[in-house]
Order: sequence, then C-alpha cells, then structure tokens
Amino acid sequence: MSQATHIRNFSIIAHIDHGKSTLADRVLELTHTVADRDMVEQVLDSMDIERERGITIKAQAVRVLYEADDGETYQLNLIDTPGHVDFTYEVSRSLQACEGVLLVVDAAQGVEAQTVANAMMAMNAGLEIIPIINKIDLPAADPERVRHEIEEGLAIPADGAVLTSGKSGEGVRAALEAVIAKVPAPEGDPDAPLKALIFDSYFDTYRGVVALIRVIDGRVSKGMKVRMMANNTVTDVEEVGVRRPANLPVDTLEFGEVGYLITGLKDPALVKVGDTVTLARHGATEPLPGYREVKPMVFTGLFPIDGDQYPDLRDALDRLQLNDPALIYEPESSHALGFGFRVGFLGLLHMEVVKERLEREFDLELLATAPSVEYHVFTTAGDEVIVHSPQDMPEAGVIERVEEPYLRATVLVPPDYVGAVMELAESRRATFKDMQYLSATTVEMHYDIPLSELIMDFFDQLKSRTRGYASLDYEYIGYRVSKLVKLDILLAGKVVDALSFIVHRDKAYQRGRVLTEKLREIIPRQMFEVPIQAAIGGKVLARETVRAKRKDVLAKCYGGDITRKRKLLEKQKKGKKRMKNVGNVEVPQDAFMAILKVDE
Amino acid sequence: MSSGADTSAAGGAPTASLYVHVPFCVLKCAYCAFHSTTLSQEPGVAEHFAWAVGEGAAHWAALGVLDDVASIYVGGGTPTTLGYPLVTLIESLLGTCKLAEDAEITVETNPDTTDPALIERLVESGVNRFSVGVQSFDDDVLRALGRCHSSVAAHRAVQSLVGSGAEVSLDLMCGVPGQSPESWRRTLERALECGAGHVSVYPLSLEEGTPLADSVHSGKVDTPDDDCAADMMETAAECLGDAGLHRYEVASYARSGCESVHNTGYWTGRPYIGIGPSAASMLPSDTFSTAIACEAWSDPGLAGVGRTIDGVPQESVRVRFLRAADTAGFLRHPVGPPEEIEYLTARQAAAEDAMLGLRLARGIADELAVAAGAVAALQDLTALGLVERVDGHWRVSAAGWLLGNEVFEAVWFAGTRRGLA
Repeated sequence: MSQATHIRNFSIIAHIDHGKSTLADRVLELTHTVADRDMVEQVLDSMDIERERGITIKAQAVRVLYEADDGETYQLNLIDTPGHVDFTYEVSRSLQACEGVLLVVDAAQGVEAQTVANAMMAMNAGLEIIPIINKIDLPAADPERVRHEIEEGLAIPADGAVLTSGKSGEGVRAALEAVIAKVPAPEGDPDAPLKALIFDSYFDTYRGVVALIRVIDGRVSKGMKVRMMANNTVTDVEEVGVRRPANLPVDTLEFGEVGYLITGLKDPALVKVGDTVTLARHGATEPLPGYREVKPMVFTGLFPIDGDQYPDLRDALDRLQLNDPALIYEPESSHALGFGFRVGFLGLLHMEVVKERLEREFDLELLATAPSVEYHVFTTAGDEVIVHSPQDMPEAGVIERVEEPYLRATVLVPPDYVGAVMELAESRRATFKDMQYLSATTVEMHYDIPLSELIMDFFDQLKSRTRGYASLDYEYIGYRVSKLVKLDILLAGKVVDALSFIVHRDKAYQRGRVLTEKLREIIPRQMFEVPIQAAIGGKVLARETVRAKRKDVLAKCYGGDITRKRKLLEKQKKGKKRMKNVGNVEVPQDAFMAILKVDE
Repeated sequence: MSSGADTSAAGGAPTASLYVHVPFCVLKCAYCAFHSTTLSQEPGVAEHFAWAVGEGAAHWAALGVLDDVASIYVGGGTPTTLGYPLVTLIESLLGTCKLAEDAEITVETNPDTTDPALIERLVESGVNRFSVGVQSFDDDVLRALGRCHSSVAAHRAVQSLVGSGAEVSLDLMCGVPGQSPESWRRTLERALECGAGHVSVYPLSLEEGTPLADSVHSGKVDTPDDDCAADMMETAAECLGDAGLHRYEVASYARSGCESVHNTGYWTGRPYIGIGPSAASMLPSDTFSTAIACEAWSDPGLAGVGRTIDGVPQESVRVRFLRAADTAGFLRHPVGPPEEIEYLTARQAAAEDAMLGLRLARGIADELAVAAGAVAALQDLTALGLVERVDGHWRVSAAGWLLGNEVFEAVWFAGTRRGLA
C-alpha cells in the first residue's frame, strides 16, 4: 500500500482531562476520516462510560490519510491510549507500536503527574516527543508558563511546542505537520519473518477476537498460518485490515503498518496484549521485548442484591471478560451476601468501570465489598498463602508474617499544599522518599505507600485536601512485610464475613471504633436489640448497640386510609427487600459501603 | 350501640355504613395532609354542599345500598364549619337512609366550631355521637400543631358536647415535638375529667409537604422521638384503662358500650358508601356492577367524568372507589362514575380484613386467618411475641400494639403473595 517512508505511527498521551480525545476528534475531521454527519464527541471512545467520564479505557487505532503541506499524502496511524494509571501496561504496549507521540499538556493546568509518567514512558521507549500545548482558548491559558514547565520539569525542548485548541481546531494542522517532519518513518525488515505486536484486542460476537497490531518486520496476509508466541498457539489469518475507524479489510499489512487481525481464535486468553505474532513455520525465534502477564492488583467481592441474579452476573462477567482479559473472577460465597464472585481488577478505576458496566449494560444490582489487595501470608508451618479476601486469612495464631504490595507514588502539587499532602501520606502509612521543585509552581513528591491504603479513597482525599490541584501517579514496587490483622465486625454476636477487612494493627482500634459508630447510624432499629462489635480474633475492640424498635404503627385507619395504608406497607416492604438479611438482622446496603469510606 | 359492631356481613347484620366527607376547615393544621379547604365566604357554598351530599345519598338509596345502615359518620375537614346547613344535610341523610336499630350518627367537630346552639339542633335532628378534635389540653402543644383553639376553649367545647346528651369521643395526639410526658399525662387526665366515653390516641405522623414536616426538616423543631411516642402510647393505655376505658383497637379506647360502630365497620369488612370529595366507598363487586349499569352513570352529560368502566374483573369480589378527589369535581357531579377504582380478589379481601381485624383487641377468627392464607405468618409473629392465639382467635399481644405495622405487613403480604398471580 503506502511506502514506509510515507507512514507515521504516533500516539497522543496526556494527563486525564487535558483534551486528548477532543484533539483526536479534530484530527479525524481535518482528514475527512469521519463524515461530518457521523461526528460525535470523542469518536474513539466508543463506550458510553468512556464518553460520559471523558476517559479512554480501550486503546484504539485509526488510520487517516493526510495531504501534507509538501503535497504528498501520508498514512498516519493514530493510536489512542488509555489515560489512567490502571492501564499503564496497555499504554506501554501502545507506545511500542509508535515512533512518536504528541504529549498534550493543558495550557492552564500545566504539567501534572500523568504528564510526567507518560513522558517518561515515551522517553524510555525512545520515541520522538512533540509537546502540544492545548486548550489555548481557555481564559486561564498561560502557554509560556506551560512551555517553561515542560522544559524545566520534563527536560523536553519546548521551543517547537505546537499551540492548539481542540475546541476550535486551531493548530491541529500544525501538529500534523510536526508529526510528518519530526516523527521518523517506521523501520523494519520487509524480508524477515513476520513479527507483529498485539497492542490491544476486543471481542466481536461474529468474528471472535480482533487483535490490534503493529507489523514490525515482514508482512501479514489473509490465509497465512501464524503463531502467538507467548502460548505457541497456531491459527489461520481470516482477515487483516485497517480501521478508518470502521474495519476496512486489506490484502496485506506490510512492515510499519498498523491495523487489525482476525484469526479463528475465540478465546481472548490466547490473544494477549504485548504478545508477538509470527509465522507458524520458519517464524521469528525471539519475540518482541516487554511482554508480561497482566496481574490484577485490586480485588473485591461482587454480589447480586437479588440472589436470583447470580447466573446473570456470571454471564455478564463472561461477556465483559471477552473484551477485557485483565478481568479475572472466581465464585465466592458469603454467609451475609450469598453467592457472588471475587473479582480482580487492574486498579480502582477499572473496578468502578466494570461495576458500572455490569449494572448498566446487564441491568444488575450489585453490592461490592471493601476492596482488598493480594496479601502474601507466611505461616509458622512454612507455607505461603495468597489472600485476596479477608475471608481467606489464616487464623492469627498460625501466621508468621504478612506481606503486602507497595507502590511508589508520585504526587505533583503546588508548594502551598505540600503540608496537606504530607499529613495525608502520614495517616496512610506512606514513607516519604524525596521531593523536588519542577518549577516555582510545582513540587514533585515521592512516597512508598501500601496499595491497600491507596485504594481506600486516597485519591479523593488528596484531591479534596489540595483543592483539586494535586495529581497522582504510581507504580508497583513489590511486597513488604507489614503488621496486618483481620478485623471482624459482629452483628448480634455473629461475624458478618462481608464486613471483615484487613488492616494495620496500629489502626485497627480506630477503624473499628469509627466503623461501629457508623454502622449504628446506618442499621435501622429492629425487633430486638442488635449489638455491633469490632473484634480481632476473639478480642472485642469496640462496641455499639442499635436499640430495639419500640413503635411502628400508623394509628389512623378508616375508609380511604385503607388503600393508602396498604401502599405504605408495600413501600416499607420494598425498602426492606433492598436490605440484606444477615442472620435475622436486616442490614441496608449502605452498611457494606460504609466500610469503604472510613476516614479517621 | 355496639350491637352491630361484632359481625361482618353475616345475615341479619346491617349491610352498610355511610360516610360523608366535609372538606372544609376554619384553618388547615400544620400537620394535616388531608384534602381540605377553608370554607369560601361566597354565600350558598354550604347549602350547595349539603344539597350535593343529598343527591349522592339519594343515588345510592335508589340502588338499595342504603336499606340497612348501621352508622352514619360525617367527618372532615370540620363538618361544623358548615353551620346550620349541616342540620339540613343530616336531616336529608336521615330521610334518605333506612337505619338499623340503634344506628350510630356521628358528627366530627373542633373546639372552635362547637356552637352550643348548633349542637343542640344537631342532636334534635338525630345526631347521637360527636367526635371532637381536641388533640391536647396544653396550649404549647396546640401551638406546635397549628391548631386555632386554646385548651380552655377545648374544655368548654367538650363540656357542652357532653351536656348535649350525645356520646362524645376525643381525639388526642402524642409524640408531638415539644410535648413532655407530664403534658401528655395532664391531657389524658383532663379528657377523663370531661366525661368522654371514647378517646382516640394518635401518635403524630409527619406527612411530607406539611408545614410541620418542613419545620422538622429545617431543624426549627425537634424530630418527634419514636421512643417518646411509644412511652406516651403506653401511658395512654394505662391511664385510660385505669379509668375504665378499655382499648378495643390499637388507637381507640372506650367505656363498654361506647365503642364506635362506624369505625368498627371499617375493621370488620362492612361495606360503606362515602360521599364527598376524596371519600372512599367499598362495595361487594355484584353491588358495584348494579351501579355501573344504572342510568345515572350513563347520562351523556357525564362524558369525560370519572373513569370508563368496561366491567368488573371476574376474579374481583370487592371494589373500593372514589367519586371525585376534589371539592369542585364533587360539587359539579355528586353522582357519576368514580375517578379512582381498585378491585380486590377474594384472597386480597380476606387479607385486608385479617390485617384490619388485627387492629382490634379481639383479633380475628381462625376461619379468616385461613381464608387470608396468613396462618404461617401469624405463627411466625407469635414466635416473635407480637401475636397470641386465644380461644380460636388471633390477636396482637401487649408488645404487638406498638409494632402493629410489623403485624399488618406480615399478614397482608402472606395473603397476597399466594393469592395473586
């Protein structure tokens, strides 16, 4: 098709909300890739949730044809990447498919934590970085300050930064000219055996798994036999094509090109992001570097509020997993909540998005238990137990030590809020590492923090304590020993498994006290007195009591009141139905959520 | 006067009650969410209303529904705001209905509209019972409720009613913001001193959209405390019981023989005709079918009035309905197809009777419990200590009085779950 010299593969990277998707929209418009009548906001974000939240969850690749100022027509492959730390691995694979990036920075907000993280990733991948200062139409836009921040904070020359407005389209053509001029054309060996990188995949009900690929060496055509190198699966190429953004089949994808690949494979687990596709016979011997298994970091129990919906939940998870192989789950049963699943996610956003999709797209009403991380418990007998759920925690007596995952967190914040960040970090068991001024207005702070602390509304707290100015990024750094215990909540003398959680010993008393108080407010008065206790092992740390209900009667009931009264009873009954029966205590759903938002 | 109260629709018992809703008040109270308006100063409104009620009664009498009437209850609103047209209204009802022996004729009144001369005329015309909305004998509590009378006026009104020779029932309210246990006890004592043979005790229920609810939500007034209201209801049972007024229903206390015939009808499934805006009627389905077929409802002049009724569903045994929800609609068409209709199956009707019957001290008989499909539920409630079974009857226990909704809910849903598709 095109000569490799006329191909440019690039990605747009940005901190969330800096205008990445809108800018991509303008590129599609400018190149007439999408007819005006089909233009919707955030074309590349195809899920409702992506559009509503203004985030990108799935990577997308779209090919546009651009007639440049030099009179030549170029094939541009724009790879839109997920804009959230949960999906860092996906972003890194998408970047592997490119030769350059547009680093988009909001002209008012300036450099933020994910700007830094993304820029580092692009540098490490050896990509050409073109700084874009976007949203110059904003009243608060200060391109000179931002240019300075890019140069000082990121050490990226910003003389040539392109000023754009995704809103008006201003500067978009200049950005594409910069891509032509600065991003190198792809290099590769047309005669070597096929090597193609899978940087994302999705599931099509009719066609099976569709992989988005970048051909590094050789070529791939319909009818070829290919092999997925990570698991040695051989399959036929049913179709190759390019996305404009609808799928358009082509005969062959040559080295340097980006497109899609459909094989006979129906199991997403066999088509992994980061894997290398090669020829089935006489293929490449070495896969492309950087592949790794994606591991979930955050776990939660998901239970249908209506127990009858359990099979529906399982079907829904099966369906979502087709498009989201990072989602893992196994059945879990709880005395309090019945049958459900323990589900593993890449991070908190991933968890929220999945829960929202399950409820919205599959019409399920779900209850989520407190998120947990993967703990490694070493027993006195010398065994290692992997714990994803407080329920699986061995008895305190047989535990030799517990290790928990730690992150290196990067916080970017104006100097005025450094104290607020330190205070929050300290309360979350974070260890201060270092701090430096990126510019007069931005301080970069590094902490080592347990993942379990980060998933307890840390980000919300950070935002509220810094009036929205702080930005956060993090990376996984490994396991460390911690003094962790399982805290149980007892209602009417019985442990409610779904309310148990794992907590640092020094914080157990405080958390237990706050939680029992909160539960006393949430749990309505019942026919009998309900003691609420927080305990470690058999030792009670805190106790509250919900007094027995004494009066529940509507005294007037004559003539027309009768219908009204029955309706009231029906309403009351409906309210009760939304509660969970734990033993014989009726517990509102809020109780299970309370545990997620306990801030001391 | 309790002669008709004991039986439901068994042979020989009166077949219906008549309720008239007079939607006028001098002033609407701060806690009231019922349909009522202040009586317009326009002359003739009270007369027009009395005429409309007469039209309604004549309609049902012509259909034979009012041939054996156990009780007439003129409620509101405050019927005595009508003044002397109320006497006309009563006389026209008594001329239209065939009354059972010892029929109970009640008129509701308020202390500020209890004019002794009017009361005398009402008694002469046949009224033999007054229900007076005293609520409290404490001026602070009366103010909190937005009542326009004082405790002194209340006392005077009750004395004049008792002096008229009619039976007198007092409505009292507990669990009011700012009401102390002592204030409540004094109110009960004053009620007994007045010589009332019947007292109704209502815990305040906050209705959304009322000024009182708004004051509570905005924090101007303390939320009424459930425990406190429960204590007060127990105080009432003790205090009134000691004075010889036994509790025959969750909220009703009476000297023997002074139980309300009319209200007992509601709790024992006796059919009733309601006349007036937002007055509900309840009839057996076959009687209702006769009404559908009557000429008065098919008058071409009634096009667009009420609902179109194609026929009574086959499985329905009972119909509850409402002619018109507002005063203007009722005055325009006192007779015509109803605006709201509800059909009940045999199982639902039994469940409703069981639920309502459990409001009564004597409870419900085994037969009704079985018909309602509620035996298992009643056994569960017995285990919880809310219900007890005595002499072939299920009735609420001492603890059950205060937790009536638990009982009613369990019984209603036990009956309807299996009874409905």
